[in-house]
Amino acid sequence: MGGIGKYFKLNLNSTTKQKSSNGCGCGSTSGGCNSNTKEVVAVTSSSCGCGNPSGGCNSGASKEELNEKEFFKAAVDASIGDERTKDGFDQVFDVKMDRRSAFKKLTASLLIGAGAVSSCTSVIAGDDTKEKAQIDWEEQFKGNYKLMSDDEKTGTVDRLVRSYQLRTGKTISMSSKNAEEDVLFGYAFNISKCRGYMDCVTACVEENNQDRNSQMQYIRIHEMKDGKGFNFNEADDNYYHEVPAEGHFYMGTQCFHCDNPPCVDVCPVQATWREDDGLVVIDYDWCVGCRYCMAACPYDGRRFNWSKPTVPEEEVNKNQHYLGNRMRKKGVMEKCTFCVQRSRVGKNPACVEACPTGARIFGNLLDPDSTIRWVLENKKVFRLKEDLGTEPKFWYFMD
Amino acid sequence: MEFLLDKKMSNKNYIIIIATVFLSMSIFSCKHHGDEYHSITDKIEAESKNYHGTSISSEAYLGDEKMIEVTVGEETFLIPERKSQIKSYACTECHSKPLNELQSTQGIKKAHWDITLNHADQNTMNCITCHNEKEIDNLTSLTGTTIDFNKSYQLCAQCHTKQADDWEGGAHGKRIGGWAPPRASMTCVNCHNPHKPHFESKWPARFNTQKIKERK
Repeated sequence: MGGIGKYFKLNLNSTTKQKSSNGCGCGSTSGGCNSNTKEVVAVTSSSCGCGNPSGGCNSGASKEELNEKEFFKAAVDASIGDERTKDGFDQVFDVKMDRRSAFKKLTASLLIGAGAVSSCTSVIAGDDTKEKAQIDWEEQFKGNYKLMSDDEKTGTVDRLVRSYQLRTGKTISMSSKNAEEDVLFGYAFNISKCRGYMDCVTACVEENNQDRNSQMQYIRIHEMKDGKGFNFNEADDNYYHEVPAEGHFYMGTQCFHCDNPPCVDVCPVQATWREDDGLVVIDYDWCVGCRYCMAACPYDGRRFNWSKPTVPEEEVNKNQHYLGNRMRKKGVMEKCTFCVQRSRVGKNPACVEACPTGARIFGNLLDPDSTIRWVLENKKVFRLKEDLGTEPKFWYFMD
Repeated sequence: MEFLLDKKMSNKNYIIIIATVFLSMSIFSCKHHGDEYHSITDKIEAESKNYHGTSISSEAYLGDEKMIEVTVGEETFLIPERKSQIKSYACTECHSKPLNELQSTQGIKKAHWDITLNHADQNTMNCITCHNEKEIDNLTSLTGTTIDFNKSYQLCAQCHTKQADDWEGGAHGKRIGGWAPPRASMTCVNCHNPHKPHFESKWPARFNTQKIKERK
């Protein structure tokens, strides 16, 4: 165990028992671990009054006022302490910690937080810094978009636009347009027409500011063998040869915007939901990145940002919607939104507009005169995995 | 349930009451929250009964292209105007003499030299299936009636009846502008070259190298 006493250590497979080489009681139910005294005292004596929440800080002599240097030292000690010498995995798991020091660290980090707030209201900091900090603070504590009033929605959108302006110097336009009444979006895909050109995929990536590094794409075009039916096991969704290939047909999948979406049911924080116009959307700021929805989706409709999404500044689509193509961050889910920033103002999604064969049809399911309704009523349509009861609003048909 | 309450509570009554409560709870809790439709088709049918239209219009996205309104069967919609897009229309500006005279004239630059007919076969089609020497500014149907160049879909629909039906309804032919009314659709010749109507094969727009790495 490297000679260091360990209080808690992730040690699932090792047969060696944890030794407390420094003679300190493991778990320290007594609350008074000698080996820790140094650190405890150091922290408590410098970071004011932190002993109180832990209940039994005997150093008692807590200073109310701190000068900047002391505060900084205390903050560093409290946040990283002796973990300065460890790296990676060990920083988190190989840490001595009893309840008392844990409380102290918590209190100290609260102090740091409070320091950050005071700096944003301080008179010394520059106006931009202050505004940035103010925006970050308000964004941090905003509610779930689903529950926001229209004013709050406008508020957060304005903050995000301003924040982007402060950080990059570029002005974007972001909408928080709500679902229109009497609109339910639906999609139809003509398998006979699709020729596998993948123009839709490129248009989608550019429209929705998807991560260029990981080459994320919402749409997949599957090349399938004639006579084998929909056999996804044998299909190829990443072909590169002249298309259409002899003896193959092509079909696309993306988020189907189910009317009974399983991804929404499993979200533990309700960061994803179905809007009144049928779009299944995500609040990227509310998502905790657990990826339950990704596992629940039977159609591989959802994508996860394993790293910070990057889009070259000149390629960023500046026409954005809060629920759509605004810039995402690391560790959140995203997916097709039927281009909410376009569809809610009457445009077709980017994939529909880009398709050179007219295989993609989009429209309002509630409008009896719409083309999508004509397709549903006159063509032999079907959906993927209909028996799951997910009620996708994405139909396939043939000429 | 009142008669049960009036009586002295025996154990049996308790059980019955509890059972009734559970039963009623289970009945009410079985109701779906919010969504009272069995399927999406039921929902569409029910909710579109009171459809009053929306304020959304895609008129602004039609662009500068000149459009004409056509009525095909029961549908009325917009298609792009064609004549102004044809390079050397009107045809009579050159075709002022009979064809054989034009052909024999020396020293005049050849027109239409790049057109080869790759549409059906020679038994079915040649130039005069659609073009008439005497009525050169218009198209001609199989029975010899005149078809305006702006309404060339009428010519195509003579043979391609299924495609024409789909186009009329909106299943064939790409939409212009957006999904919202007014409907504007491409007409046949906006995607298909009438002399060579098939789509060429080509390379896909992209190849995902990251996917290859991930799946190794």
